[in-house]
Amino acid sequence: MKQFGFLMALCFAILSFAPAPVSAGQEIKPFVRGSYQKIVNARQGKPFILNFWSLTCGYCMVELEMLKKLAAKHPKLDMVLVSTDTPEEETLVAATLEKFSLGKAEAWVFSDSYTERLRFEIDKKWQGELPRTYFFSAKNNEVIAVSGKVEQEEVEQWIEKHMGTDAAALP
Amino acid sequence: MNNLIFALPLAAMLAAGTASAAEHASHDQAGQGKAEMAAPAAVPVDREKKWKESLVKPSLAVSATFDENGRLWLAALRGQHLYVSYSNDRGVTQSAPVKVNAEPEDFLGDGENRPKIIARKGMIYVSYTQGLAKPMSGDIRFSRSTDGGKSFSAPITVNDNREIISHRFDSMAVNGKGHVYIAWLDKREQSAAEKKGEKYNGSAVYSALSDNGGASFRRNVKIADHVCECCRTAMAVDTDDYPVVTWRHIYDNNIRDHALVKLDGKMTPVRVSTENWNIAACPHHGPSLSIAQDGIYHAAWFSNAPQQRGLFYAYSADQGKTFSSPLSFGNIEAQPSRPYVLSLGSRVYLAWKEFDGESTSILGMESADGGKSWSAPKKLAATSDISDWPMLIGENNRAYLSWNTKNEGYRLIEIGAGIK
Repeated sequence: MKQFGFLMALCFAILSFAPAPVSAGQEIKPFVRGSYQKIVNARQGKPFILNFWSLTCGYCMVELEMLKKLAAKHPKLDMVLVSTDTPEEETLVAATLEKFSLGKAEAWVFSDSYTERLRFEIDKKWQGELPRTYFFSAKNNEVIAVSGKVEQEEVEQWIEKHMGTDAAALP
Repeated sequence: MNNLIFALPLAAMLAAGTASAAEHASHDQAGQGKAEMAAPAAVPVDREKKWKESLVKPSLAVSATFDENGRLWLAALRGQHLYVSYSNDRGVTQSAPVKVNAEPEDFLGDGENRPKIIARKGMIYVSYTQGLAKPMSGDIRFSRSTDGGKSFSAPITVNDNREIISHRFDSMAVNGKGHVYIAWLDKREQSAAEKKGEKYNGSAVYSALSDNGGASFRRNVKIADHVCECCRTAMAVDTDDYPVVTWRHIYDNNIRDHALVKLDGKMTPVRVSTENWNIAACPHHGPSLSIAQDGIYHAAWFSNAPQQRGLFYAYSADQGKTFSSPLSFGNIEAQPSRPYVLSLGSRVYLAWKEFDGESTSILGMESADGGKSWSAPKKLAATSDISDWPMLIGENNRAYLSWNTKNEGYRLIEIGAGIK
């Protein structure tokens, strides 16, 4: 995966003005209507973190760095990262995730310019402020939503409560 | 030549369809983030490229105002130029758009950071934010027309700090004496702190005055430190001709509620709202302000604090010293957003966006008693794709919704006939 990331970065450097090539590294899935439910349905009975971020959001970069540390510390932590940028920016999105060593996380990019529609399905109470992070408990019946940068210790507490020692175990 | 400007944003949008990016775009970089980012240092190359690309994205934003003769004036962006046109029949037909900036510029012109236009006593004033080379950087620009909109002066940069940093989110007001006031968010303090290896939370808010009708501006004056980095500012003129500015402030560490001050040299900023929204980010969702002939201040804003969520309205009958208990409005299950307030005498109007799962509507409600009691909300217009933020403008005692949408183009809809 690492090599792919490097290749990707290379590709990006060379083709920076060409349309996004088919990603050779991490797959970036198009986030459309129904994607949110798909993500949640695929994780019934498992705790996970769902993070919305954008290339233009400074606070998001700080949060991605924090998630990088978490991912290293808790290899079994299931993270879904959704970029609210556009499909045209898929290469940049993938390159950014690689830079934060988040290539293993499931990654999506908003693929509907009418973003109200996507947000409505995700959370009617979310007005687009970023970063926006959701913490799903194992039964998905307890969802915590946070707008803005989350502190690592807050996430650690959540992991402790919902994943226990399991999170640190090697996959 | 009619309806040219109607077609412009539409054509531009068809080319891109990425106003959504703009909607999320201006979550500010750095601020306190930078200091905390010591090790990772983000992704500078990618972000600069992304920023440059975002500068050429088309904008749906159209700003509108009436002059004293009932002529409608519109400001819209097309490519690297700002255009001004007018209409004598409330937007049905329009004049040929006149280019404001002869030299091409990059614009930051999404809904939150739209160009401003004011027409008073034969003068047309415009302000806007020019995008610079680095991410989240910009300059505040100003131009005027002294010949009734036939031509515009070469734009001047209003901020006297010329670093390639954030000077953005301008608001403008012109008083009865023809004094032009501009306020904006400015990162010069943050930049200075960073050079010293210190932290500075948020931006500052600055203003500048032109007392020669916009020929030039006096030196910049800081209004307040530590304000939210990318929410629009709003300005209105009080009955004593002093302007009043409101913005999303940062209280304590990261409580992002609203503040207001009159630029009379005497008033210190007061807190308008106490939702206590604690958020380590900038929501890119600023306030709206209107002051009527009776001197009542009317403010509207957005919050997503867990206990007090949605849109709020309050008025002040004592020049902003105290505000009424905030009125929560809008359907919280329908993403209420982008509130705009307009007062015409004792009549007050609110407009905002909602989304019902399929389409976006502009809702409106009206008060006949200076904001004390309100009509039920009514749908004023709708669209089923991306759209600009709503604006309310007044002409004599008539209120209008000014709204541009990707599908329908620009619309001016009279609501003064009564929302009830």
